[in-house]
Amino acid sequence: MSNLAQARLHEERKQWRKDHPFGFYAKPVKAADGTMNIMLWEVGIPGKTGTIWDGGVYKVVMTFPDEFPTKPPKCKFDPPLFHPNVYPSGTICLSILDEEKNWKPSITIKQIVLGVQDLLDHPNIGDPAQIDAYQMYKNDKNAYERRVKQQAAERRPK
Amino acid sequence: MSSDGENDDFFFEDEYDDASDQGEMMEDIDSTSEPDVYDALSPALEEAPQRKPYDVTWKVKTLQEIIDMQNKEITKIQSVLEVPASSAAILLRHYVWNSEKLQEQFWNDPAFALNEAGLSPPSSPSTRTIPLPQSPSRRSNRSIRSGPSSPIRRTRSVVTSGPFECPICCMEFDQQAINKHTYSMGCGHRFCRDCWTEYLSGKIKSEGESAKIQCMESGCGRIVREEVIDELVEKDISKRYHNLLNAAFVADSPNLRWCPHPNCEFIIECSQAPSRMLNQIVPTVGCKCGHDLCFGCGYAASHRPVLCKIVKLWEKKCADDSETSNWLQANTKECTKCQSTIEKNGGCNHMTCKKCKWEFCWVCMGPWTEHGTAWYQCNRFDEKSGIDARDNQAKSRASLERYLHYFNRWANHELSAKLDAEFYQKTEKKMEQMQNSGNLSWIEVQFAKQAVDAVIKARTTLKWSYCMAFYLKRNNMTELFEDNQRDLERAVENLGYLLEQNISDTESISKLRQDITNQAAYVQKRHDILMDDTLKGYLERRWEFTVDI
Repeated sequence: MSNLAQARLHEERKQWRKDHPFGFYAKPVKAADGTMNIMLWEVGIPGKTGTIWDGGVYKVVMTFPDEFPTKPPKCKFDPPLFHPNVYPSGTICLSILDEEKNWKPSITIKQIVLGVQDLLDHPNIGDPAQIDAYQMYKNDKNAYERRVKQQAAERRPK
Repeated sequence: MSSDGENDDFFFEDEYDDASDQGEMMEDIDSTSEPDVYDALSPALEEAPQRKPYDVTWKVKTLQEIIDMQNKEITKIQSVLEVPASSAAILLRHYVWNSEKLQEQFWNDPAFALNEAGLSPPSSPSTRTIPLPQSPSRRSNRSIRSGPSSPIRRTRSVVTSGPFECPICCMEFDQQAINKHTYSMGCGHRFCRDCWTEYLSGKIKSEGESAKIQCMESGCGRIVREEVIDELVEKDISKRYHNLLNAAFVADSPNLRWCPHPNCEFIIECSQAPSRMLNQIVPTVGCKCGHDLCFGCGYAASHRPVLCKIVKLWEKKCADDSETSNWLQANTKECTKCQSTIEKNGGCNHMTCKKCKWEFCWVCMGPWTEHGTAWYQCNRFDEKSGIDARDNQAKSRASLERYLHYFNRWANHELSAKLDAEFYQKTEKKMEQMQNSGNLSWIEVQFAKQAVDAVIKARTTLKWSYCMAFYLKRNNMTELFEDNQRDLERAVENLGYLLEQNISDTESISKLRQDITNQAAYVQKRHDILMDDTLKGYLERRWEFTVDI
């Protein structure tokens, strides 16, 4: 594991604890024996108030490569999410998470989670990643909204 | 621009001194006069005795000449727009070396042109990147960041106030170390040098980027200058970076093409073969490395007399499995139950599938049980579906046969061409033998080598003529073409036969020599006729193809 990646992630952790957007959580995953894996984070992203995503908190697992921050982390909804830009595996399709598109080493975890939150209610129809959500979004907005609201209710934190 | 005081603030220079490299940009090279495209068709250009109307003129350039070409353009733009050399280079690359368009855009709106090319001044974020969602974060709010009194760590004011923390690796640098260990481009985003090096090396080495490497700040479209990269990365990576820049220049220029042969570093310049002309000419050119190539499509040999587009179709047809499936269609059927492919190689029409033991009739494909007592004779044979099936199969078989006819001849000549080396050696031995036994001098036995050269040349042309014939529509012109093809083929085979002859005594040598020389001249003549007629045919639009060109 690269020292640069670890140092940066420790610093990100420090910054996050000092201040983070309301309703979000982000923390490195703890193994069964209590040791912390700084390269693997669990993140909770709340739906924006006033949108059909409101009420749910959507869990994302962020896997940081050794080359971080030269390369972006892999972000995956766990469990997979009903959303046009989320692959059936849960992997998120977002330009700032793509090394060949808009990823820059200076992008922080905070920026990523805010970007993903923004993506929830602003799907990018030019870049669909799953058939179900894409077609429903395109052909039957009402059914789409119902489905998303139902998902939000299912993912309401207890 | 320098006389125009208010515009000066468009140039927020990076911390490197651009003036230092202006000197070396100045090597003057003579402008290569580029004849008009249409000259390819005008007789005025026939300086060389063998120039044909369908030939093109070209120049072979070295890498250094390509670098000089770029530098010349850069110097020109640099003095016209009065910008530093590296800015001129970035502008030119952004406008794909179209200096007229660049100048037009630039004089229209200098700020916009610079911004578009990635030379944005600090206060304006690039318009080409997608902004991140708004948040109270210090990083996404640019207006706060560039405010003069803001305590933001990353602005230029940082340099004079307190320690600096690299936003990427989170290392801290105190006042004294800032200038030595951190770096910021004209856009004002400061990072430590180690992070810069890591980032730039990654972009160049693993992603092969060159002209479009941007600032590390998200949303900032500022392009990293050449001299910045040269200073921040290792020598070998910087070398790769410059190679990538040159490769991009050649790729972006319709008049340039790398020689495709291994280990050859020459570049061909040809202005007479733009892509819209490729349905009329076959721009075969010769590189200094001794090989031919097609300037139009980059094929690593001459594919005359066939057009680039047809070569591509042919290659694809030969490469993919379409013909395999054609064969399967023509020669096999599927078991109606388990879908296994079955080739019937004899016997009666009562089939029993080896796999699933299903019994069916080969003719009507129905279950055998329905045939009742009509053993070994399908009484449904004349039904419409049966006839259709047979027609389809016959058609598919005919088209396969046609393809194989042309392909076999094409492949045969291809193979013969591959045996060149062997043929050369054999001929050399034979020439030695003749020198020894026939009292012929070295110069007198060269006819054999010339004959071999003629054979090889003719075989390459013949090979492609079969590809051509495959795509030609059947008409009178095609018949004439095939006559020429047949004559050349016959001549080549005769010459090949003569070259294989054994040399027994002195008398026969002089006769053989005479024959070979005559036959070689004949081959050459037939070859020229075929080539001439075919290539002229394009200009006269004589050929009709079964595909769109």
